[in-house]
Amino acid sequence: MSTEATATGAIAASPGKKDWSKIFLFGGLIFLIISLIGVYMGFTNGKARPAYGLLIMFSFYLSIGLGMLLLTMIHHVFGSGWSTVIRRQLEHGIAIFPWLGLIFVPFLLISYLSGDPGFIWKWFDKTAVETDVLYQAKKWYLGQTRFLISYFMYFGGWIYLAHKLRTYSKAQDVDGDPKWTKKMVFHSAWGIIFTALTLTAASIDWIKAIEFHWFSTMYGVWFFAASMRGALAVVALICLYQIYKHGPLTGMFKRGHLYDLGCIMLAFTVFWAYISFSQYFLIYNANIPEETFWYNMREEGFWWWISMGLVFGHFLFTFIYLLYYRNKIRAIRMIFICCWIITFHMLDLYFNILPSKREVYDMYVPYPFAISVWDITAFLGIGGICAWSFIRSWNSSNIIPLKDPRIDESLRHHGR
Amino acid sequence: MAENITFGLAADFENPHTLMKAAKRCRDKGFKSWDVITPFPVHGLEEAMGLKRSRVPFFTFIGGATGFITGTFIAWYMNAFDYPLIVGGKPLFSPVFPFPVMYELTILLAALSTIAGMFILNGLPRHYHPVMKAKDFAATTDDTLRITIESSDPLYDSEKTRVFLQEIGGTNIQELED
Repeated sequence: MSTEATATGAIAASPGKKDWSKIFLFGGLIFLIISLIGVYMGFTNGKARPAYGLLIMFSFYLSIGLGMLLLTMIHHVFGSGWSTVIRRQLEHGIAIFPWLGLIFVPFLLISYLSGDPGFIWKWFDKTAVETDVLYQAKKWYLGQTRFLISYFMYFGGWIYLAHKLRTYSKAQDVDGDPKWTKKMVFHSAWGIIFTALTLTAASIDWIKAIEFHWFSTMYGVWFFAASMRGALAVVALICLYQIYKHGPLTGMFKRGHLYDLGCIMLAFTVFWAYISFSQYFLIYNANIPEETFWYNMREEGFWWWISMGLVFGHFLFTFIYLLYYRNKIRAIRMIFICCWIITFHMLDLYFNILPSKREVYDMYVPYPFAISVWDITAFLGIGGICAWSFIRSWNSSNIIPLKDPRIDESLRHHGR
Repeated sequence: MAENITFGLAADFENPHTLMKAAKRCRDKGFKSWDVITPFPVHGLEEAMGLKRSRVPFFTFIGGATGFITGTFIAWYMNAFDYPLIVGGKPLFSPVFPFPVMYELTILLAALSTIAGMFILNGLPRHYHPVMKAKDFAATTDDTLRITIESSDPLYDSEKTRVFLQEIGGTNIQELED
């Protein structure tokens, strides 16, 4: 009863405040347009860096969106109680897929319609790679028609799943009928399998295939682990922001929830390290040039320090930090580690995407590491649009799933 | 004589709510050697009792660190020091190829020391405890919520503590033999 009053009170109070969503939308669009101008200028000058900035940032927000989608579905499939309070924030987050799908269109335009199809993904340039033995061996997968169909299938599926999970959850807010929970569980059950497969294929299509010569069976799992880490850190920040200065989630998002989020973050830190290391370990032990070149390129120049940063910063420091109980329950300490994880998640994507675009195609010369101004505009551009989509969804629904059968359990969640 | 063989006093409580209140009173009174016996887990009771977090993670960390160091040492000693052997063109020692050994030993010793730490901190194995001597002990595994205050507590006084237990709402107050 008191919960309902708080939640509706928070919603009633929000129109009085300044509506930030429009500011984020316009800011995001302006920066995105600047980014696209950069991509165009780079394209006319034969410089791929601005386009790669956009691709890195697209992957960043896509990974967080996919992580949130998976977290929502995992919540439903396991019938978990404690995370019900957090679930609504995830449902706001997964509203970004249609917009991300649109942001991807420039890459398709360059690859399919421009005079230089191999600008982003080299294998699109048939004349350049036709004699490549490895291209011929992988031709069955690297098809242009298949790529386009896959794009529509991935985004179609994610948008459909996100739409279903969001509408059912909102419908339950009105009538409190448990049948919506059952429907969400149903869609989550097939959705997890679908998302696992499409996420793997998408990471291969859009990130790994930049270097189509390479082999790795771990890549999809790596992207999954990275996505989950990014999404968990972002969700924790969003929830903490909403309890800041008696925000709307005060009294609902409690220490137990924060602690449990911290525990899953720890688990996925280990999982990410396990996957990333396994990939390195297998390639190191097998020691075949067809595979090792990928890592050799990433030991050139500043990329060496990025690699070490990923090992010791993204894994070791985060792992030891999150082992300690107090670091998981103090808001300020969690904010620190969430920002830390997000930063290194970004570097991880740089590490995976940028060196694969070789500076000289026929030689193993990776693009040097640098944060260009186009990365920042793309980060702000796509970020503004994602924030707008989040706030728009936030404004149009209750702060928590009010009539979810497990909301009481979640509000009473006791953790230590 | 009677005081020597008294383990402490026990009192029963109506429901988890009154139990929780009583536990808070005991905590605030400053008792150290006391315990609550419930047939089911009562959420929040550890806070009401003022219990600190378990120290088991400390054992886990020590075990894990030992395992990691042992694993590293084994790989280095066997492959690079005692009998240097080149396998697959790899260096004699590197943190990469023996990592599974280091990792597995970390997990193994961390898990074993967690269990050992739990046993040590719990005082297990222990086949007998004075609270079991109460005639109706079986009831505490069924529907009775009980608080026991031990005579070893510095604040314990057989008369005053009895009155205190009555004050906080305890019924069926009984003395437990050691």
